Amino acid sequence: MTARAVSPHLDVRNVAWLLAAMVFVVAPHLLRLPAWVGAFFVAIVGWRAWISWSAGRFPSRLVVVLITGAATLATFLQYGRITGREGGVTLLVVMAALKLLEMRTQREVTLAIYLGFFLVLTNFLFSQSIPLGAYMLACVWIFTATLIGFNRPGRVPTLAERLRPAAALVVQALPLMVAFFVLFPRVHGPLWALPRDTLAGRTGLSDSMSPGNISELIKSDAVAFRVRFHGDRPPYAALYWRGPVLTDFDGRTWRMAPERPSSAPQLARAQQPARYDVLLEPSSKPYLFAIDAPAKAPPDAIETADMQLRARRPTDERRRYEMTSWLDYRYGAGESPEALRRASAFDPARNPRTVALGRSWAAADPDPRAIVERAIQLFNREFTYTLEPPALGRRDPYDDFLFGTKRGFCEHYAGSFALLMRAAGIPARVVTGYQGGEVNPFSNELIVRQADAHAWTEIWLRDRGWVRVDPTAAVSPLRVEQGVNAALGPIGVIPSIIAADRLGLLATLRFGWQALNGRWEQWVVGYDTERQRDFFASLGFASIDWRTLGLWLLVATFVVGGAVAVGLLVRERPRRPDPSLAAWNRYCAKLAGAGLARAPHEGPLDFLARVKAARPKWAESAEDITRRYVAARYGPRPSREDVRELADRVRRFRAA
Amino acid sequence: MLADLRQSIADWIFRPAVPEVPPVTLVQRRIFILPTRQGYGFGLMIVLLLVASINYSLSLGFVLTFLLASMAGVAMLHTWRNLAHLRLRPGRCDAVFAGDIAHFGVTLESPALERFAIGLRRRGDEPIHADIGVGEPVTLAVPLRTRRRGLARCGRLEVFTRYPLGLFHAWSYVEFDLAVVVYPKPDENAGAPPGATGDASEEGIPVPGDEEFNMLRAYRPGDAPRQIAWKALARERGLLTKEFSATASSELWLDWDDARARDAEARLSILAQWVLHAEEFGRAYGLRLPGVSVAPGRGEAHRARCLEALALFEAPR
Repeated sequence: MTARAVSPHLDVRNVAWLLAAMVFVVAPHLLRLPAWVGAFFVAIVGWRAWISWSAGRFPSRLVVVLITGAATLATFLQYGRITGREGGVTLLVVMAALKLLEMRTQREVTLAIYLGFFLVLTNFLFSQSIPLGAYMLACVWIFTATLIGFNRPGRVPTLAERLRPAAALVVQALPLMVAFFVLFPRVHGPLWALPRDTLAGRTGLSDSMSPGNISELIKSDAVAFRVRFHGDRPPYAALYWRGPVLTDFDGRTWRMAPERPSSAPQLARAQQPARYDVLLEPSSKPYLFAIDAPAKAPPDAIETADMQLRARRPTDERRRYEMTSWLDYRYGAGESPEALRRASAFDPARNPRTVALGRSWAAADPDPRAIVERAIQLFNREFTYTLEPPALGRRDPYDDFLFGTKRGFCEHYAGSFALLMRAAGIPARVVTGYQGGEVNPFSNELIVRQADAHAWTEIWLRDRGWVRVDPTAAVSPLRVEQGVNAALGPIGVIPSIIAADRLGLLATLRFGWQALNGRWEQWVVGYDTERQRDFFASLGFASIDWRTLGLWLLVATFVVGGAVAVGLLVRERPRRPDPSLAAWNRYCAKLAGAGLARAPHEGPLDFLARVKAARPKWAESAEDITRRYVAARYGPRPSREDVRELADRVRRFRAA
Repeated sequence: MLADLRQSIADWIFRPAVPEVPPVTLVQRRIFILPTRQGYGFGLMIVLLLVASINYSLSLGFVLTFLLASMAGVAMLHTWRNLAHLRLRPGRCDAVFAGDIAHFGVTLESPALERFAIGLRRRGDEPIHADIGVGEPVTLAVPLRTRRRGLARCGRLEVFTRYPLGLFHAWSYVEFDLAVVVYPKPDENAGAPPGATGDASEEGIPVPGDEEFNMLRAYRPGDAPRQIAWKALARERGLLTKEFSATASSELWLDWDDARARDAEARLSILAQWVLHAEEFGRAYGLRLPGVSVAPGRGEAHRARCLEALALFEAPR
């Protein structure tokens, strides 16, 4: 039990714990960062483990400085800088490894553990999903257990002696953490400019489209945005989520036209509008999505002449906006000649066969409706919808598609259709966005994923203005009626078995998980200034500022912290002494007051004998009390009445 | 610097008390708690985590920050609880020779809670640590390197803990009147006491006829094993001790005046060596110091009495 001070930071098991904890927390990073970082980290940790295991020598300071310099240089060469998300995290991982290498004192050990906690945070820069959150909670647990091990001088604790108190600390800290999380005032935006690459790796629609880039996007299962409808959800086939409108065409790539001021599109409104909230995932792009046709741009955003919604700033964090859309609309009948000219331009030298085909249609029957009908029939007759289209030539991709491969995806159909229309003299443009979505039966939200990305066209008719034509619907009506999964079967990470039993157990589990994810995204990850205000508004506090929140935070700290403290401290207070012993002690105190103190070594019966000898007149009551005490204290479990009777006798005993 | 300040504040609050009556229970008001340097470091880390969470709008970063901050708060309660209601009693303090390490025994007992990494130290000394189970008292021996003969006092003891996370230092002081008798360091060059040579054999075996067997008496703790009447024990007459009455000629007096040395301490060292020597040879011996005299006798208890007389002779304070 007794032991001389062992230095906990030198113990092999403690060091092993720390190394393991470091590996745990860095592991998700190693999957994201370049391979050399992983190799470097593993090598250094292995070296440190070997030093500890063989009680070997630490490398000299010069060696550590050289390695540090080399690693920093390598990071710089990799990223061109040592700031930013990837660069910064790489540097932090490298430094953490080197910190392990020169960890010789208790202080440096502590510093390494704190660095580990910081590495937990850096993981959240990449993902804040439930699984990663749970994994990081486990990391915090392990680091806490490690810290406990280093604070047990005298003895190296067992596995349970580390993990159990660490778990207790984490669990007991939860109530206060929740109070802080809810009440801590959230501020808008970053305190300083974020490096751009913090937002890198986010997928989404871009401002151009050439054959192939949407079908890449569509393999991603990532959520683009979530929608909650007020009232009825419009029919599935009407859910065209309008995004970038691409007018300029160079023979291969469609691009957005320069932004023109809004000419206040004239919308003919025939029926009830659809009202809904959109929760948009960060995309690093300014595009906001709405069902055709948006009635009004949300605050902080504008509507362009071609009816795109654009935020004033790129969407760098999750954002929520309210929308109203007219499903039955007319607009653009009075479109400007300049816009129509842009929407009719093409280079006749490229895709010559496509151009010739369009021109031949116009020559045969100039009625736009007839031309559209011909095109749709062409697609309908000979073309196949597929996610894996054959590669197309760079110079005349649409010729290759229309007269060669005849297999393609929405972007192929939309692009070639728009070009055919222009060749036939009809102004046309490509609209990109999303189509459909998936309704979660638990949360009743519509989830729109990158996999739902879509491209369609708009043609301009003199009497109608801009009219939507979706040539993909001609090839694969299911795509528009039921969504991409129905048309193509499962894609991306969704296993085919799920698509097979859409209403079965797996689907239920998947929807349940999605609903949970939705709640998590909404209430945990997306808990920002607005959400905080909404939350307190729902509790009946209309306006709440940071001062009020601060005050509440203080109160909550005392109340919740106090409750935890009471729970901790009261539960472990020394047990109350046995009531029969307490009565006996009172009896002895009375006798001591009369000059008959019981010696510490004197048992009850010895003491009784002495009392009887010294004060014969008390013999009877002393005998009675002693006998009852011995029975209650040393006999089989005494009844409550017996103990009470003993206490009563003691109370009535007068040592005078 | 900070530690010094803390120490002086604590000294001021916790003025040296009169020796306390054991057992001492560390009740609420006796326990002090402050963050350690690690604790301040932890606070700094939390601030950095908070800034990063705000800057990158990381909700899970907030969760992490607040979780760690709350854990620090809970850890403070745990640290405090680890020390609270601990019961301390003085334990054994065996005499040592000057230059050896004295150990002050302190028994720690936990009435209701298992304790971990409880430290005990004299001010400025390295602490010793122990875990204490419920109802399993642990005796810690606080070491002190002695230099001079006399009475080494333990003084105020700090009982402390930093468990579980090392972020907080909870401590309390106890003042038991713990003291260790420090015998003079025996002078190895002193040789045999005058009068011990001659008829006493070098092997340390009592010479027959030197002392007369007198009687058997009941065994008392401290009697030397070779004085025990083993034959009587074998006959089931109980544990008896043979008592000898030494003749006047065989009584050995260890006299201050015989120990020739340049100063009093050196004389005491010589006398200490003589006591050990005489005891080893099994002869009855007495001690004569200016103003102090120990009647002849022998055995562990007698030896201790003699050495104690040497230790406390005009004891330096």
